[in-house]
Amino acid sequence: MPSFASTLAAWNRKLHYYLGLYFLFFLWLFSLTGLMLNHQQWFTDLYDRHEVSYDPEIETPAGDTRAEQTLDLMRQLKFRGEVDWPASQPVGHIDFNVARPNWSARVRVDLNARQAYVKEFKNGTMHTFQIFHTFSGTRFNQPASRRDWAMTTAWVLAMDALAAGLIVMVIGSYYMWWRLKQRRTLGVITLTLGYAICGAFILGAL
Amino acid sequence: MIYRWLRDFHLYFGLFISPFILLFATSVFYLNHGTLVTGAAAQSETYRDLNIPDGFDRLKGREAVERAKAILPQVGVAGEIGFLRYIPKTGHLIFPVSKAGSEATIDVDLAARTATLIRRSMHLWESVSYLHKMPGPHNVALRGNWMGMQVWRFVADTTIYLLLFVSLSGVYLWWAIKAERRIGMALLAGGAATFAGLIYAVVR
Repeated sequence: MPSFASTLAAWNRKLHYYLGLYFLFFLWLFSLTGLMLNHQQWFTDLYDRHEVSYDPEIETPAGDTRAEQTLDLMRQLKFRGEVDWPASQPVGHIDFNVARPNWSARVRVDLNARQAYVKEFKNGTMHTFQIFHTFSGTRFNQPASRRDWAMTTAWVLAMDALAAGLIVMVIGSYYMWWRLKQRRTLGVITLTLGYAICGAFILGAL
Repeated sequence: MIYRWLRDFHLYFGLFISPFILLFATSVFYLNHGTLVTGAAAQSETYRDLNIPDGFDRLKGREAVERAKAILPQVGVAGEIGFLRYIPKTGHLIFPVSKAGSEATIDVDLAARTATLIRRSMHLWESVSYLHKMPGPHNVALRGNWMGMQVWRFVADTTIYLLLFVSLSGVYLWWAIKAERRIGMALLAGGAATFAGLIYAVVR
């Protein structure tokens, strides 16, 4: 009968590559978009986008709150995506922005005139790809921002799952490596070097 | 032979980048779900008789940043200058300076040769998230004006390149285990389907 340690080692090893295989495409997306974000100079025309403006008439939006009225306006305009509102709202207006990674719209609605002023922007493929890295619907340094689109929440859950999967894989990899006695010395050196450099940055020494 | 080499490189490169993977992975939770609490405003400090370079009224971009860097050691600050804001009306130059662990805002009165400094400490999660986001896509022309940021850019890039190598070599090492191919293929296909489905649902 296999010992507990060998069973744990076998399942830990399986878990390591099962998680790695499942998250492979997510990992590549966040790795490549991470490189893009840090090397904007590699790209020309990255932020070029196709713009369309129009002024549709709208029905008086249903709802008591700004959020409910915005949702109704989005239904009328057939828009879907993550919403945010500008800090200041003119009297008698509902102004909002809607965004998905490949598209966004700036909507200004004059409620009294029942008129919307819409600007739609279609992002290029590379820009769309890059936005997936940061598409979370919130900003940690803007406490008022919050997610309001189900697909943003789903994407954020995917980010969280990848992050959790990577943490499990890293911890599991330490166990796998430690069991390889002949590779401990060089492993300790590389791991110590990694932690020393990383720690120096976190502590602000570098 | 290739298998043994790849297995060893997979192991040692993986161990080396593991702290950085933990940094990027743990900060995801703070960036997605955290809220910045800055705490009480720090006391301001005033520095006088500074040696101020000239030309801020006409210089822009990297050139102006290079001159602003001369002010930093005089006020005891080191770090990456985020941007520069020159206010012609008052003759003030205002700029933030940051590195993991701390940030400062410096308000220089160019004519009076004085600077008012407000320092703020970052807590651990904020520091880790700061590193996650740096150097980033903003103010590209200015970014990397501090040696520490240049080194961090190199380290972050190296982490990504090694991670890509580790993931590709991991696929090779898995494929070599014939008994695991079937379940591995199922997981790979499941991951690909989840990935493609989510992308489609978000952009359609």
